[in-house]
Amino acid sequence: MANKSSDIVQGTLDMLILKTLALEPMHGYGITVRLEQITKGTFRVNAGSLFVALQRLQRAGLIRSEWKATENSRRAKYYILTPQGRKRLDSETREWGRQVAAITRILEAS
Amino acid sequence: MSLLRKLADGLWSLFRKEQVSKELDEELDSFVEMATEEKIGDGMTRADAVRAVRLERGSLEVAKEVVYAAGWESVVEGIWRDIRFGVRSLFKSSGFSAVIALTLTLGIGANTAVFTLLNAVMLESLPVPNPTQLYRLGDNNNCCSMTGTQNDGSFVLYSHPLYEYLRDHTPEFEQLAAFESYLADLSVRGSRDSAPEPYKGEFVSGNYFQMFGIQSSAGRLLTPGDDSPTAPRMAVMSYRTWQQRFALDPSVVGSVLSIDGNAYTIAGVATPQFYGDTLRSDPPDFWLPLVGEPEQWRLQSANVEWLYLVGRLKAGIAPDSVQARLTVELQQWLGGHRDVIPQRDWDEIPRQHIRLTRAARGVDQMQTHYSLALRLLATLSALLLLIACANIANLLLARGLDNQSQTAVRLAVGGTRGRLICQLLTESVLLAAAGGVAGLYVAYAGTHALLLLAFRGAHYIPISARPSVPVLVFAMLLSLATGIVFGIAPAWMASRSNPADALRGAGRATGGRSLKVQKSLIVVQVALSIVLLVGAGLLTRSLRNLEDQQFGFVTDGRLIVSLINLEAAGYTEEKLPALYQRLEEALPQIPGVLSASLSTYSPLEGNNWSEYVSIQGRPPDSSGTAPSWLRVGPHYFQTIGTRLLQGRLIDERDRPGAPRVAVVNDAFARRFFPKENAIGHYFGMTDLGHSGDYEIVGIVEDAKYQDTHGPAYPTFFLPLLQVRPGEPLRGRVSAIELHVAGRPENLEPAVRKGIAEVDPNLTVLRMVSFDEQVARNFNQERLIARLAEVFGFLALILACLGLYGVTAYAVTRRTNEIGIRMALGADRRNILGLVLRSALVQLGIGLAIGIPVALASGLVLASQLYGVKSYDPSILTLAAVILTACALLAASVPARHATKVDPLIALRYE
Repeated sequence: MANKSSDIVQGTLDMLILKTLALEPMHGYGITVRLEQITKGTFRVNAGSLFVALQRLQRAGLIRSEWKATENSRRAKYYILTPQGRKRLDSETREWGRQVAAITRILEAS
Repeated sequence: MSLLRKLADGLWSLFRKEQVSKELDEELDSFVEMATEEKIGDGMTRADAVRAVRLERGSLEVAKEVVYAAGWESVVEGIWRDIRFGVRSLFKSSGFSAVIALTLTLGIGANTAVFTLLNAVMLESLPVPNPTQLYRLGDNNNCCSMTGTQNDGSFVLYSHPLYEYLRDHTPEFEQLAAFESYLADLSVRGSRDSAPEPYKGEFVSGNYFQMFGIQSSAGRLLTPGDDSPTAPRMAVMSYRTWQQRFALDPSVVGSVLSIDGNAYTIAGVATPQFYGDTLRSDPPDFWLPLVGEPEQWRLQSANVEWLYLVGRLKAGIAPDSVQARLTVELQQWLGGHRDVIPQRDWDEIPRQHIRLTRAARGVDQMQTHYSLALRLLATLSALLLLIACANIANLLLARGLDNQSQTAVRLAVGGTRGRLICQLLTESVLLAAAGGVAGLYVAYAGTHALLLLAFRGAHYIPISARPSVPVLVFAMLLSLATGIVFGIAPAWMASRSNPADALRGAGRATGGRSLKVQKSLIVVQVALSIVLLVGAGLLTRSLRNLEDQQFGFVTDGRLIVSLINLEAAGYTEEKLPALYQRLEEALPQIPGVLSASLSTYSPLEGNNWSEYVSIQGRPPDSSGTAPSWLRVGPHYFQTIGTRLLQGRLIDERDRPGAPRVAVVNDAFARRFFPKENAIGHYFGMTDLGHSGDYEIVGIVEDAKYQDTHGPAYPTFFLPLLQVRPGEPLRGRVSAIELHVAGRPENLEPAVRKGIAEVDPNLTVLRMVSFDEQVARNFNQERLIARLAEVFGFLALILACLGLYGVTAYAVTRRTNEIGIRMALGADRRNILGLVLRSALVQLGIGLAIGIPVALASGLVLASQLYGVKSYDPSILTLAAVILTACALLAASVPARHATKVDPLIALRYE
């Protein structure tokens, strides 16, 4: 278990959730595990922030939810990306790319 | 879309809180369970796994709260929680809350009542479709009948031919209607046998109802075809009259009524709300076509201007261009009718113009008449509410200090100041809302009382006391604002309290900031109260001066009867003398009647005739106002109690064949004969050719007939029987004066019977005591004075309550200090002085601020005052003395308590 995990960069959690859900529908716990796996434990997600973000995305119509059974036949709420959410993810990804490139250029300039 | 969804989701979570909460619980549980299972899978024990999950993911209870708080609905919930908490804490101190709510009920109720009136008179439109399309031709309320050019060239009264010209040449108007500027008293009877009854009527052009665009409730309304000399006479009845006098009988439509002796068929009934073109007390019962007007010669005459015009502009037409066009038309018409204007005014013609004014509210008669009174009332009631707010803020402050430890605990355990202020403000607004709801009842009753005061003598006022939508909105906003105004200071003070100090009990010993705020509030209250008291004093004194002035007649034991035009009862010039004689003989026979007389009109009934006179042997003079005149029968002056100064009165010898005589009042004699005795001189009405008509045989004292504020008009009195050939009969005798023994009202039935015995066809318009007739002249003054008195009294009580409360509170807080002082040798007098001094300082500062303000506001009132200067020192002193006495009384109760402090107990108190 990585001890040096840090909180997610402010304002990016929504985008990361959308990205996670773009692969397949997932429940809350699955999303945290997936995020931690992909980032190799760099990011850790607090349950409070996660569920607030999920509620926010749902109200914005970017994701929807339904109750389904998990592989361990437990009932869980699965979140599914809506077409709107997919569009938002695309635009946010592009925007993020531009910003990172810009910041990198600033940092690399002597 | 997304906003809608947010709203829907929020509402869903608000109303299905149980289910949402359960779902969230389940989701979080499964989250924890999955995390725990994974850890167990990694080889942890269950207990360790649970702890690890909590460490890593944070407390799930907190997570749940965070999720809840993220949605907008949590704000609503917070407010809801505040409201529940507020209601609970208000009920906990129910006596305290009741006092505050009662104060607010009175304050908000008074303001809402005044607003109801203000809204109805100043803001509400006529109850007709699209009232904003209505425009009036003219910008003032000059009344009745005029000739030639008009005031400052602004036309407002129109002759019938000019109306027709404008109507036919201004296509911008959908309809342009004309109506008389005053209402007619009609004598109406249903069948030949029934007694005639008085009604109000208005003569209007045939397109009047089409112009307003209203529908009929029954039958049909007037059409242009009805306003033609050849058409059968038709009339429209008001809904109220149909309801109240004809019990909504459908057979009234199409039936024939005798109106002023002419047969009219009732064409139909207007809509229930419609009260005509002008908001006024006793609006028309009947609308009749202009062609039925009693003085029919006026319809053809271009000389007499007597009609008001109101038109409905076509949609999308700019009023400015129409106004310019109307003035051009007026000039064209005047160019073709030079004879209409007397030659001396010919250079005035180019200045004549028409101003188009908005008429959505109809003819602004009541608005003009009452706007000052209403503004005064609004100011007075706003002052009262402000005083009430200061008082309540004070009470809340005192309680806030008592609750300081509770507040401190809440702050200490992490309540934010914002939340605290919110919570306290919610309490205030709740109180204000309770006061507002109860205030609506007060407002309803208050509006009734206001209407009765303002329109004493009226049978019906087309203003509803029932709260309308604007009134409800006003009351709601006012309550909200009030709650914030009186709540903000206490809430802010409470939120500033330092938890550590409060818990230590430090707040008790020192005076502290809040006491300073409380004292300032008292100062404000005292200042506002003195303003109200002085205002009430001035207005009351002014009213008393008006009512008790020397009118030049005696009102005690006098009954005034008003008759409707006698030609409706079939009288002609030849038959009149016999009627006079029978009335003069029969009425004194009634037991209790001492004497009776007849006249054209009686003093202060609202009637005034005037005519220029020419004095024999002098050049014509039309400068100044024309003298007033009326015809009177024998015993007239004795009956109303006007004293003879010189010469003789009009009596039985002044018959048709006898020398023609006149009695003049002192003002007439002084104006026309300043240096000589008026008796024996001759004068006549209008031109020089008549200057030998009447010989002045007597001078009577000045009596006020029209204007109660100014001096009596120069007036001459002519004998009833000595009429000029061709003098119009209409209105020549409309008043009977009776001098009676005992209460005049008691004689009403006997007098009615006596008149009916002389001739059952005579219509009595009204019968009131002379006192009442005079009193109705002061409705507005009385309304304002009574309200100022009530408000002044309430303000006084509130100020005293406030001072009492603050002093009592200060004493409680200083018990300890007082104990020490007493232990160190202070006697009771010292302590009394100590407490009273502080109260006196507040009072003194309040007076020092309030008196200059009162003086300044006295200047605003000056135009309303009669016989009292706005800086009247006696009233100022009286108000200050009353306020000081009451305040000292209020402060002395807790001060005496302070002297009874037992030093031993006081010292142990800490």
